[in-house]
Amino acid sequence: MIASSNGWWFPGDAMSPLGKRIDELFYLILGIVTVVFVGTQFALGYVIWKGATKKDGESAEFSHGSHSLELIWTIVPAFVLVFIALYQMDVWAEFRVQSYYPEQTQEDGPKFEVTARQFEWRIRYPEAGQPLKNQPEPQDLYAVNEIHVPTGRPVKFNLRTDDVQHAFFAPELRVKQDAVAGLIIPVWFEIPVAGEYQLLCAELCGWGHYKMRAIIVAEPQDKVNEYLARLKEDQDFDGVVKDAEEE
Amino acid sequence: MLVKTNRQFTILTIGLALVSFAGCSGSSDYPEAFKSRFVYSDRTDSLIAEAQNGIGELPGVKKLVDDRFGDPQDLMAWTKLPIDFGGISGKLAETPDASIAVKELKISFDGELATAENETILLQFVTGTAAPSVVVVNAWQPETGLASLSAAMEVAPAAGDEVIVGGGQKLVHGRGLYMRHCSHCHGTSGDGAGPTAQYLTPRPRDYRHGVFKFTSTDALSKASKDDLSRVLRNGIPGTYMPSFVPMLNEDDLADVVEYVRFLAMRGEFERKVVSELASDYSEEAVKSRRDSGESRKDIVEELKSFLAEDMQDSLEFVTDDLSGRWDSANSEDALVVPEIARVEDTIESRRIGRELYLSKTINCADCHGISAKGNGPQTTIYEENPVTKQLYTEPGLHDVWDNVNQPRNLTQGIYRGGRRPIDLFRRIHAGIKGSRMPSFKNLKHEDIWHIVNYVLSVPFNAEPGHAPVATSEDPATAASL
Repeated sequence: MIASSNGWWFPGDAMSPLGKRIDELFYLILGIVTVVFVGTQFALGYVIWKGATKKDGESAEFSHGSHSLELIWTIVPAFVLVFIALYQMDVWAEFRVQSYYPEQTQEDGPKFEVTARQFEWRIRYPEAGQPLKNQPEPQDLYAVNEIHVPTGRPVKFNLRTDDVQHAFFAPELRVKQDAVAGLIIPVWFEIPVAGEYQLLCAELCGWGHYKMRAIIVAEPQDKVNEYLARLKEDQDFDGVVKDAEEE
Repeated sequence: MLVKTNRQFTILTIGLALVSFAGCSGSSDYPEAFKSRFVYSDRTDSLIAEAQNGIGELPGVKKLVDDRFGDPQDLMAWTKLPIDFGGISGKLAETPDASIAVKELKISFDGELATAENETILLQFVTGTAAPSVVVVNAWQPETGLASLSAAMEVAPAAGDEVIVGGGQKLVHGRGLYMRHCSHCHGTSGDGAGPTAQYLTPRPRDYRHGVFKFTSTDALSKASKDDLSRVLRNGIPGTYMPSFVPMLNEDDLADVVEYVRFLAMRGEFERKVVSELASDYSEEAVKSRRDSGESRKDIVEELKSFLAEDMQDSLEFVTDDLSGRWDSANSEDALVVPEIARVEDTIESRRIGRELYLSKTINCADCHGISAKGNGPQTTIYEENPVTKQLYTEPGLHDVWDNVNQPRNLTQGIYRGGRRPIDLFRRIHAGIKGSRMPSFKNLKHEDIWHIVNYVLSVPFNAEPGHAPVATSEDPATAASL
């Protein structure tokens, strides 16, 4: 806890609601593991100390098997493990099982597609008001290494890869999902606070792995719409600047 | 000291050793094995040794290149080149009184000279009698523009002499980034032969031809700085060139662009100097000349007199051409701008585009194929290498880098030079430089737009080989298909 409050080795605060729950699980498990680790180390130390303080001539006791001891150290950890297994289930389901994704994402459908490739992230948005299709549509909008999402609502997107395996890793959001060749994987996250968040590749994908850095920009929905409008304007640019726009 | 004097041309010397190994005696302390080197091109190596290395005092190709560009540890900033080497330049505001020792200079800088405390300011003279000497400024007063020097100057400068502080900073910064992020594919010398290059198809660009494919400039112009930075920003889909944003910030991008232009100009300068010599003094030419009765000694004598008497003119010509073309690429005149806005993307426009695509005069289908799959009849011919005059061993169209470079399959919707209508317009208007995609600059701009509209519709037609037809009676619905 001291280390945590000082930020030693620990990731900063999770920036998504699900991320906060993942963190709670992490710290719970860390607590259990700490108790077990310290306890067993003390027990080991005690046994060594006992043996070392035996007087000369005193012989060691030999015991073989203790039924009750065996039961205790099997059942207690089993309970702990089963408890963890059950306790984390809803978080896991919400994170990975599509039918448990937030209702909002089920209604909205995927908002954009992220295609990882050596060594960048290519983003494809559908035309405003249109659903995202798996195959490109004529009016789709394209971006590289920059994702704009609305704040305060769960956003689902499709993750795919053009070549080898990559992993979509947004550390502040606690999202890490492999992109697997041939699969279209729906992923979701929610960002309550507007800001820029990191996106990295977390699967060593080649010599340019480190180059796969991108940003996720969370902002109010109208700002996202403005961004998409800008993207569309740029994508439709025909090189002719109207006189009116030139002043 | 960091300056090498060369009377024939002005050069600023940028010492890496000075930057990162302050306190050591210089770049000679750098372990030999860890030094980066610019390599010379194969064409340089094809010359006879005397042409490569010079004869006596007369420099050969290698020295001519090295004097102007240096090596990665010790870059030269040849001021003739249209490169923003960085630093703050200024002019001497007053001619100092030469009757007493010159220990103070009045200078007006173009920008603000921001220096940290205790930082040594090195002031280099770019023009005038004192160039290219460097003086150490002990104290700088921004209000009065007075710089106190640590020692009296040996040669008195005059008002109007150009000076620079921190010259070459941009190039040094660009080099660092280039070496980290780019050189493993594009090579230390920009020869497209870095260690990871062999795994890539298509091959990374070899800058040394001075040719970049995807430009916004007209058919005869070089790539502009904006073109290069756009590629760094967006990457090139369909190739291994990734986007470098947000990893690099705006300043980083600009500096990498300058360094890439520097490498391109170095390579091109070398090529052009070699071209001055290749027809008479390549190993092959010398061999055939000897076969026809000339003695090697006479040939070397002739080379010597060429280097002594004619080389200077050749160099001036090469330099002016090089710097002029790289400079003018950034001007507005070089930019391809359509005369009319994009023709509305209707079924009718696509149909006209399709007709033009197939027409005898334009004949896109000859390379890109009737079905636009990049499989036209030209893709199966055996081409002649324009340099060696021999047939390539592989069929298909070749680019100036001697790689097979087949026409794009337009049904995939991957546009290497960008997917904006203006990008496609420029590809057709200016061609794709270095490749067999020619310039169609004589086409009416309206017709180019029709072709653009057709090409952009190709990936979404079930049968791209067929002329687009309205599938609905309502033309508005059909147009948005």
